[in-house]
Amino acid sequence: MNREPITTSASRVRQVEAIANGTVIDHIPAEVTLAVARLLTTTDDQVFIGMNLRSTRIGRKGVVKISGRELDVQAAAALALIAPSATICIIRNYEVVGKNQIPIPEVFADVAACANPNCVTNHERWPTRFLVIDRNPLQVRCHYCERAFAADELTLLR
Amino acid sequence: MNFHGRHIISIADFNRAEILAVLRASRELAERPRPELLAKRQMATLFFEPSTRTRLSFEAAMHRCGGQVIGFSDAASSSTKKGESLADTIRMVEQYADVIVMRHPRDGSARLASSVSRVPVINGGDGANQHPSQTFLDLFTIASLFPQLERGEELKIAFAGDLKYGRTVHSLVTALGHFRVRLLLVAPDGLELPEHYLTEARAAGLEVDILPSLQDAVNQADVLYMTRLQEERFPDPLEFDHIKATYRITAAMLRSARPELRILHPLPRVGEIAPDVDATPHAHYFQQAGNGIPVRQALVGLVTGSLEAKS
Repeated sequence: MNREPITTSASRVRQVEAIANGTVIDHIPAEVTLAVARLLTTTDDQVFIGMNLRSTRIGRKGVVKISGRELDVQAAAALALIAPSATICIIRNYEVVGKNQIPIPEVFADVAACANPNCVTNHERWPTRFLVIDRNPLQVRCHYCERAFAADELTLLR
Repeated sequence: MNFHGRHIISIADFNRAEILAVLRASRELAERPRPELLAKRQMATLFFEPSTRTRLSFEAAMHRCGGQVIGFSDAASSSTKKGESLADTIRMVEQYADVIVMRHPRDGSARLASSVSRVPVINGGDGANQHPSQTFLDLFTIASLFPQLERGEELKIAFAGDLKYGRTVHSLVTALGHFRVRLLLVAPDGLELPEHYLTEARAAGLEVDILPSLQDAVNQADVLYMTRLQEERFPDPLEFDHIKATYRITAAMLRSARPELRILHPLPRVGEIAPDVDATPHAHYFQQAGNGIPVRQALVGLVTGSLEAKS
């Protein structure tokens, strides 16, 4: 059985418990690790979280491992707003069977609050909607109040 | 080009051909009023915050074309006070009217309303965001005074005053991106046109000059678009007094103006245009307000299907 670590090189000690089957979200900027876990997991999931781990790529990182569930990469599109550098690995029998960068959708529907305090979506019960106007760095425009924001100006609803 | 059933939410939703079609329909109605155009049509005016001039202009436009108006003029007399959602208010009102005109204090409220309404919604101002019928009437006024705008010859249009928070300025600058215009900008420190509007204007091919004084704008411009300075933008009342004195057009300043210069203002003015300017041939702000009638008739006529858009 191949038990090579999936988030660190073979020579290093694994920093977070390996999972047999499920999803590993790696290379999360350390400060948004818990937000990513909150976004992608349910109260029924078995979840392993590593925070402030060493990363040669981004300095300090977070890892979230969801045991027993393969995440729909499209459903994880909201990650593009808070952790565009993250990767999503699908694990089957301890092996990485799929590795994906975070896809950037055309529209972020009801995943983040508008940063404009006077936007109608902050005052009515109504889903938010942001259109992508630039991908690198990620910039979005609120469909309602028409203000443009950098991705890191928005806060996730979950 | 089809306007029937279309919402009028943001000037950014319109391309050049569509803007020209609105101007053409407005011109026809200005030259040849049609008292029966909107007969049997019902307009609901939902003013969740007061705006006397916009409401009066829409209502007068409707009445003069034989249409009827229902509505309320402040949120205290609507069921919003009882906690009704905006979406529910719209779903109720659309049963009673062929077109909805709304003014609301929140940015994006008109877009939200348009996403639930089966009848056309015309945005009469959503917070600090958009006020497209004002932009169409500003453009109509400029195009009527200076036909070269539509012929693609360069016009010099100066904007003065609060260019940072002035919603009418932002929308008009966006719309002017479809024409050949040199923008002359003059604003107090801290109230300059936001960077992204500058970038957008230049990307649309507009030339932009930042001018040191109002007098420079008076001397160079074909059109001078004045805006109101709002006291609440200035933390220091002394500074406000100083700026107010600097951003004030008087008849004396107009002696060095080009004869064709016309001064526009979305109104209400407070101190930025001295009353002695009213009697000069340069004053055009009251005629501008009057243009609200044919322009709003054209918009209502087009979206209710009473008028055909001609390209």
